[in-house]
Amino acid sequence: MASMAYREQELYVSTSAGREDAEDDPSSSANSIRYRKARSRLINQTIFRLTFILFFYLMMRAIVGPVPVGAEGATAAAFFFLLVFPTLVGQWLNWKSALKGIADLGIIGTLSKADLANVSARSMAMRNELQASKPYIDVMHDQIGDSLAESEREVIEVIQQISTLNAKARQQRERIAASIKSGRELTDSTHQRVENNKQIIAAIDMQFETQIDEFRNNFERIQGLADEVAALTPLIKVITSIAQQTNLLALNAEIEAARAGSAGRGFSVVAFEVRKLAVHSTKAASDIAARINATCKKVDQELAESRASLEEHETSSAMSQLVGDLNGMQSEFAKNGQLLLDVITEVDANYAESVERLTQALGHIQFQDVMRQRMEHVQEALQEMRDHMQNMSEKAYDFVWEGNFDPTFDQMLEAQKDKYRMASQTITHLAVAGGQSRNTNDGPMIELF
Amino acid sequence: MAMKVLVVDDSITMVMSLKTTLSMNGFEVETAANGQLALDKLSAGYRPNLIVTDINMPVMGGLELIPKLRAMPGLKFVPILTLTTESDAAKRDEGKRAGATGWIVKPCSGDDLIRVIKKVLPGA
Repeated sequence: MASMAYREQELYVSTSAGREDAEDDPSSSANSIRYRKARSRLINQTIFRLTFILFFYLMMRAIVGPVPVGAEGATAAAFFFLLVFPTLVGQWLNWKSALKGIADLGIIGTLSKADLANVSARSMAMRNELQASKPYIDVMHDQIGDSLAESEREVIEVIQQISTLNAKARQQRERIAASIKSGRELTDSTHQRVENNKQIIAAIDMQFETQIDEFRNNFERIQGLADEVAALTPLIKVITSIAQQTNLLALNAEIEAARAGSAGRGFSVVAFEVRKLAVHSTKAASDIAARINATCKKVDQELAESRASLEEHETSSAMSQLVGDLNGMQSEFAKNGQLLLDVITEVDANYAESVERLTQALGHIQFQDVMRQRMEHVQEALQEMRDHMQNMSEKAYDFVWEGNFDPTFDQMLEAQKDKYRMASQTITHLAVAGGQSRNTNDGPMIELF
Repeated sequence: MAMKVLVVDDSITMVMSLKTTLSMNGFEVETAANGQLALDKLSAGYRPNLIVTDINMPVMGGLELIPKLRAMPGLKFVPILTLTTESDAAKRDEGKRAGATGWIVKPCSGDDLIRVIKKVLPGA
């Protein structure tokens, strides 16, 4: 009977009571309450059964009568080993199984011995599985670590590229500035030379103008002389006319002298000489007229050439053209100088803009450090989880374990709130797990004290 | 003459990005990977015009470093800016009491950083 009682021993653990208690008091562990209740019930049950055995013994004594003398010891031993001991052993085993069952399953319903054996096997499997979580979590931990290292390497590469880019841009800007400086110096120097040349050319031009003026004066003077020489031509005619008349008079005088005979002989010689003189005068006048004509022609020719030359100088002075060219050159240089100034201004502006943009880009790179810190926090949490699960694996097959976790997952999750450094971490936590933040008093992103 | 800035941070990416940012904007930058290394550099005679430090660092963090800096000759009035992911007001107050000039929460845009630096360093 006792054996039957042992075999059919059942644990009556009110699951609904445990659940209600857990719901009534969420801050305490539901399993812990179940353990206490199960233990209490088992103790009460044991006391009840022992009392029942005692009552059974007394009833037997009443029915059968007193134990024969000398058989008290054997009767007591038989009573103990057949009834009391199996009951106690059965209750002890039930108690252990109940504790394990509660730990593994939250004890639902009634567990038979076969169920308990099954629970034990599952506990073993659970322990093995929990232990196997370690390499899984370690792999995930290292995956995060490697990703962080990789992103760090890439970010460093980006920063180096930006740094190189900026160095080259600055070098280019300095080179352009240097070339523009040289160009500007060359322009200034050429401008100065042009100015000097202009002054020299102006002086030469002035002298040239003076020479032209003198030339013009000389030309006019020569023209006057030529005119005066030309004016002698009518006088030659007068002289020729006088000579012809003198010749005619001398001829008449010679005729009259011949008529006078010997008295007019002397006068005839004079008349002859006068006529010869008149012929000479006529010839001389004719020669003078010819020379004057030749001179006048030559002077006219020279004057014509001089006039042409003077007019050419007056209309298109080579010096004026040179001055004009130099002025053009100067304005061209001024234009180029402005162009260079525009270029350097633009290069400066572009460089300033590129520095601004690169500065912005480098600011965004801080995300890597922020991400690193968040990921490192996750890695720490994973390690905590790993350790906790290893601890769970040890408890899974521990039949004397009382069912308390310290800390529990709930407590570990709550404790994470104190470890957060960034508002974003707290926001994510609250969005997923709910509850309230302890550190809601975040200030501005930038604060000067 | 370029202003000198000491950057103290254990993150290599932060150190490099800050060094490049500040150099591009005309500053001369020295770096240290934690508070102790910064102290070593300053003990050797280096005197920056500005210090930018992280808070959470190995060996010696920013909140431990700042009072030590303030006790060093020539650094009593040098601006010290913290650049950290810590946004909690209690930490911020701790930094203020330690002697920090300002508190900047990461990530901070490059423009904002340069603007704050120019504010605490009028000659920059």
